[in-house]
Amino acid sequence: MAARRPAAGLRRILARELRQIAARPALAFMLVPMPLMIFLALAAVFAQGLPRDLPVAVVDLDGSGLSRQLTRMVDAAADVDVTEQLPTLTEARQALVARRIYAILMIPNDMERDLQLGQRPEIVVFSNSQFLTAGGIAARSIGTSVATFSAGVSLRTLEARGIGPDRARDLVTPIPVQQSPLFNPSLDYIQFLLSSIMPTVMQIFICASAVLAFSREHHSPGGMARLLRLSGSPGRAILGKLLPYTVLATLVLLLGDLLLFGPLGASFRGNVGVFFLNGLVFILACQALGALIALIARDVTGALGMMGLIVAPAFGFAGVSFPRFGMSWFSQGWGAIIPLTPYLELRTDQTLRGTPLEYSLPTMLWLGAQLLIFGGLLWLMTRKAARPSATAEEGNA
Amino acid sequence: MSRFPSFLAEILGALRGVLGDASARSTMIVGILIYSVLYPQPYVGEVVRDVPVVAIDQDNSTASRSFLRQVDASDKTDITARAVDMGAARNAFFSREVYGIVVIPAGFEQDLLAGRPAPIAAYGDGSYLLVYSNLMTAVTTVARSMGAQVNHARLTAGGVDDGLAQTLLGPVELTSIPVFNPQGGYASYVVPAAFVLILQQTLLMGIGLLHAGRSLPSGRRIWASSIAYIGLYLVWVAFTQLLLPFLYGVPRTGSLSTLLLIALPFLCACTAMGFAIAAAIPWREGVVFFLVVMGMPLFFLSGISWPIESIPEHLRLLSLLVPSSTAISAFVAVDQMGAAPQDIAGAVQLQIALAIGYTLLAVAIARGRRSAAPAAGGS
Repeated sequence: MAARRPAAGLRRILARELRQIAARPALAFMLVPMPLMIFLALAAVFAQGLPRDLPVAVVDLDGSGLSRQLTRMVDAAADVDVTEQLPTLTEARQALVARRIYAILMIPNDMERDLQLGQRPEIVVFSNSQFLTAGGIAARSIGTSVATFSAGVSLRTLEARGIGPDRARDLVTPIPVQQSPLFNPSLDYIQFLLSSIMPTVMQIFICASAVLAFSREHHSPGGMARLLRLSGSPGRAILGKLLPYTVLATLVLLLGDLLLFGPLGASFRGNVGVFFLNGLVFILACQALGALIALIARDVTGALGMMGLIVAPAFGFAGVSFPRFGMSWFSQGWGAIIPLTPYLELRTDQTLRGTPLEYSLPTMLWLGAQLLIFGGLLWLMTRKAARPSATAEEGNA
Repeated sequence: MSRFPSFLAEILGALRGVLGDASARSTMIVGILIYSVLYPQPYVGEVVRDVPVVAIDQDNSTASRSFLRQVDASDKTDITARAVDMGAARNAFFSREVYGIVVIPAGFEQDLLAGRPAPIAAYGDGSYLLVYSNLMTAVTTVARSMGAQVNHARLTAGGVDDGLAQTLLGPVELTSIPVFNPQGGYASYVVPAAFVLILQQTLLMGIGLLHAGRSLPSGRRIWASSIAYIGLYLVWVAFTQLLLPFLYGVPRTGSLSTLLLIALPFLCACTAMGFAIAAAIPWREGVVFFLVVMGMPLFFLSGISWPIESIPEHLRLLSLLVPSSTAISAFVAVDQMGAAPQDIAGAVQLQIALAIGYTLLAVAIARGRRSAAPAAGGS
């Protein structure tokens, strides 16, 4: 009956799914308002783009005019803020352990005198590398200030020896390195991190909503058989059940991206069409994966747990923070089967990098292949799941 | 006298409940074991080595070749390709064959010999910061050491003695010492912190799975259950904070008693919060959904990967309601940085306050439910 009018089967499943969402306010909350709230919170966390004024301590054992000048130079840098002047290294170390500061600049005894005597005083920068980002930024910033300070001393000494200022400057930096961060000139964390975190969070919502939608059928007696009877075919059943979530997820991802590329000022150099298509295929692949998990797992919470094991560590495997080429074969392989990995690569290509399309083609095919595989398996499982329980139900009746 | 053994029996009963419930077991036991194998895998390499770089040598001189050889020899970078011009280099970059471009312009050696500045250019991938900083560190290190050699030779040739030449070029000796994680290892940085969060999320989830949608056990039973969960998770604390760092070669220094000082209040706070969530969200799947989704945002609020000073104040205050927000850095301080009790006092106090607060909240919600239930049933 349903087979004769395919559109009716699809419409029936769609309407039924929408009624089920409407009957569950908590689910509806988790589909749209909650991801948006998380996006806003994450945007607030990273809104600065770059950490500024990280607290650092100075242990000035010299107490001279020059050491105070160096301290002022360190403090003047945008990245760090000298919040403590401590008399001993022991106290500074204590401040480091208590997480009041991220780095220590230690100026040795008699630095000024040693500089005048040409005895190369040793300036030490300790940084908390357990807090890799903040410690690294603080150490780099202090290091740059010390290098500038050192260059200033060099210039003065060279000029004092009768070498002209221009020539002296050439001597101080004989091989200047012009450093260019391609695509992300200010090394902004909004573009580097936030832009990848938002879809990562979204991936969990997308998978989870598909898990719940399919679990509702699969884990209730005769549910899959009823689903197939109403829809008339596995394809229409899958489409009807997942489409409402596809639309909502597309909307939420789009709102997140509007926030990112609008008020937060992330740059967009790619192809809008490809970017949008990438998002859609990503959502569909995540949905197929989620629904597939629901059909494999023994119950709803088991399905969510299994999904959690795959999606929660996905960010690490996607290679945003630690690059994929530095990973083991296992990790590269594991990352390769998660939709997030090709999606984020393509996203970086088509937002920050402005990659010509032909170079993005392999990644597009990769993501498309995931969709085909997960979707195909889902179709097979849906067809299979409907059969035995259908006969069981009829047997019971 | 006979009450204690029966209380013990109730604790054991609660543990059997965890083992007997398939979803609780897979969350609170099997899940943690799988995570402890799977989660650290992307990071076990610790540091990024041999970033593939393409070189454009427009000078093709002894000096330029020597420069590139040194960049290639650095363990941070690896010159995997040569390109004739920027266009070809860019293509290699777009297809992700390389993550950096080093350009040595024509005239490099001549400038260097003539004592003029001999600039070179390095283009790194700004969309992957770890990779970018690797490239820049390698290139600037080579540039500095080669530049210093050239200048040193020039000054000494001009009659300046060796010691003075060194002083003139680098009057200050800068030593940079990364503390606590000396090699700047990524696993050492992320693994200890992440597992505190994993413990919190699985404990909250497990309690949700066992108790959400059911009326909370009353009286002694709830205390027995709490003690059972906390006891189980003390074992997991030992497993994730002592054994895992050992297995993954993550340096560890902290004392056991200080670890217990933060672990115990943290687990109490999580347990109490777990009961509060279970009472507030009566939908088991909803609890799991909520907690899986919150994992990542909570990690970024912990101050480990993004400095706490850069997080807006109101958001930071709000995040204090979740135990992990302060506990993660306290655990890391104890285990990786050898913190003493006074260094984590604030976090410990906050965990105790949260434990009390969430206990009261859970009781209040459960009472509210119980008194509402008969009324609803009557109508």
